[in-house]
Amino acid sequence: MHQDLYDVAIIGCGPAGLQAAIHAASKKAEVIVFGRARKSGLYKAHIANFCCYERPISGKDLLQAGRKQAESFDAAFVEEDVIETKNENNLFSLVTESGNTFTSRTLILCLGVTRKKLRVKGEKELVGRGVSYCVDCDANFYRGLDVAVVGNESAAAIGAVTLLSYAKTVYLICRELTITDTLYEKLKNSNVKIIKDTWVKEVIGTNEVEGVLLKNGEALKVNGIFVERGAKSALELAANLGVLFDTETVSFIEINKKQETNIPGLYAAGDITGQPWQIAKAVGEGCVAGIEAAEYAKKLAGD
Amino acid sequence: MGQGVLDVDDNNFESEILKADKPALVDFWAPWCGPCKAIGPAIKELEETYGNSIVFARCNVDNSPNTPTQYSIRAIPTLILFQDGKVVDQVVGAVPKSHLEELVKKVL
Repeated sequence: MHQDLYDVAIIGCGPAGLQAAIHAASKKAEVIVFGRARKSGLYKAHIANFCCYERPISGKDLLQAGRKQAESFDAAFVEEDVIETKNENNLFSLVTESGNTFTSRTLILCLGVTRKKLRVKGEKELVGRGVSYCVDCDANFYRGLDVAVVGNESAAAIGAVTLLSYAKTVYLICRELTITDTLYEKLKNSNVKIIKDTWVKEVIGTNEVEGVLLKNGEALKVNGIFVERGAKSALELAANLGVLFDTETVSFIEINKKQETNIPGLYAAGDITGQPWQIAKAVGEGCVAGIEAAEYAKKLAGD
Repeated sequence: MGQGVLDVDDNNFESEILKADKPALVDFWAPWCGPCKAIGPAIKELEETYGNSIVFARCNVDNSPNTPTQYSIRAIPTLILFQDGKVVDQVVGAVPKSHLEELVKKVL
C-alpha cells in the first residue's frame, strides 16, 4: 500500500472491481482498489440469479468474500473515494478524499451508477436556475451568494469546502456523513455550516432558487442548492480524462471487447458501461478488464 | 454537413448568434467541466446532421463572463437555442443526444 507506483488501480469495489482485482493480482500485477463496499448496489441485495448459487445469497457476504479473495492475491484496498484523476506521461494519478495521491500504470473504472437527483418538489423545475449537480462546474456562478450542498459522502463534503472560496455562506445538509476522519477534520475546521440528521424536503423558488425547506422544519434562504450524492460521478472523474461516453444517453462509458476505453491504459467494467445491471455481467467485464490491464501494465513496465 | 462548431465570445456573440441569418444553438461550457466534455461528441454529431440549417456554437464561460450573466446561466453545460436574436428554449446538463435533437428540431 505504501509503494510509489501500482500496475493497476481500480475505482470501485463492487463485483466488477473485485473480479478485476482478483484477475489482475493473480497475474502478479501490483493492484490497488478504492472505494467502500457498502456503497455497491450489491451490498443490500439478495441475489437469486447468479450462476452456480442455487439459493439466494446476500450481496454483503459476496462482497466480503470477494475482498478477502482479492487480498489473498495481494491486492491492496483503500476505503476512500477518489476525488481527482489525472493522466500524464502514460501514468494515472488519483487523489483520494483525505488528500493522498496514488500513481498507477493503468486504471479500471468500476464506478457503478448512482442516483444523482433528490426527486423533491421544485428540483426539476429549477435545474440550472439554482439547482446544480456539479460543484466543480458551477461554483463560479455563485460568487458572494448563499448556497447549500446536500449529500452524505465525499462529493458533498469536498464540494462544500470548495464552495467556501466562492459563496458567502455554505450550508451542508446531510443525514450522517460517511467520510474519512481527515476530511471530517478539514470540514469541521472550515466555515461550512453543517446541518445534520435531516434532508431536503422541497426546493423553493419561482424563477430561481430562493431557499430550501428541510425535513426538520427548518427553512434556509439560499440562492443555490448543489446536489452531490455519493462519490464524484463518472461524468466528472472520467470525462476529465477525456473518456468517451455513449452519445445516446451520455451516461455510460464506451468500451470495446477488451473493456478498453478510448484512452490507452484506461478500462471500464460493470454497471458504468451500460445495462443489464447484473452481477454476472459485472464480474465478466471485471475479469476481462483485470487481465487486459495487467498485461498492458507489464508491457509498459518493460519499455 | 455544416462548418463545424463555431467558437463565440462576448465580442462576437451579437454578430454571430443574435444577428445570424439562421437559428443558433450555443453550448455554454468550460474546459475543466466533465459533463461539458461528455456531451461534446453528441453536439458534434448533431452539427454534422443539422449544421446546414442551424449554427452550432460554443461559448467558453471562463473567457466570456458577460454573455452567460446576460442569460442568467448558473450551470454548465447550458445549451440555449436562439432564433432571430431571441431565446427559443434551453436545456441544462449532460442530456442525451435525443433530447438535444428534439431541441434542435424546434427551429427546423
